[in-house]
Amino acid sequence: MSALSFDAVDVGDELPQLELTLSGEQVRGYAQAADMPGGRFMSDEAAKAEGLPGQIVPGNLSVALFSRLFTGWSAGVRLKRISATFRALVRPNVPLRISAVVTEKHASDHGNFLECDLVLENAEGERLVTGTASVELPG
Amino acid sequence: MSRTIDRSMVGEEFDHTEFPRITEAQILAYAASYGETDPRYTDPAAAARGPDGGLIAPPTFAVSLRGRHFMPRELPRNIGRNGFDAGKDIEIGVPIRPGDVLTASSTVHDIYEKTGRSGTMTFIVFRTTVTNQRGETAAVVDQKMMFR
Repeated sequence: MSALSFDAVDVGDELPQLELTLSGEQVRGYAQAADMPGGRFMSDEAAKAEGLPGQIVPGNLSVALFSRLFTGWSAGVRLKRISATFRALVRPNVPLRISAVVTEKHASDHGNFLECDLVLENAEGERLVTGTASVELPG
Repeated sequence: MSRTIDRSMVGEEFDHTEFPRITEAQILAYAASYGETDPRYTDPAAAARGPDGGLIAPPTFAVSLRGRHFMPRELPRNIGRNGFDAGKDIEIGVPIRPGDVLTASSTVHDIYEKTGRSGTMTFIVFRTTVTNQRGETAAVVDQKMMFR
């Protein structure tokens, strides 16, 4: 992976999308690594006992997946800030598409920065998580 | 039904936790758990040759630092304890490295109400500031919880 030049990025550019389906095991694995012991992240049975339709994906995992868009995009890119709004439940075993578009770019003595809009959606195009990110590009 | 929002606890610290020294294994496990592939976070040898001079934690690692108290013992009246995570905002500061000793301070940052089609919801924003052993800010995490 090479480092993108700031000049080579334009407002409106879309980052390469991430398409994946999280398994229940992957969700449990993240919840354990992130010290999130809630039953809702562990199994359908525990989630249903909490009144949910089944096991759900932690919001923190959705944010981590957003961050992967950038680390997989350009060498040396640094995430400065990331925000997410959890609009609907994200479930395992459901195909997900995660995307980002550049909405603003600005350079200063402090560095070269991009602002991006983020979306995590299901196969029906329902926006389950939306967000924004500020990233710094090297050089 | 209208609720009375008690904002008296805004600004109050409800948790202060010093965590055990961060390990390389902890960072690698967190990165692997969501499929991270960037060598800065996954490959100590490659990271040592990179601009950070060694392995650093992925940008969202700070959310895995769980303090002793997830929320204040005393929430405002009329608010239940079963909230849902409605949003997250992470400001990333200095890199977190193996060997760091991190401290998290959590406060109630904001409390407000919104009324929508499904009724009135109360939102509480918990702010956690993570600092390292040099007093540098590694992350500021705002967690927005929604209570129906």
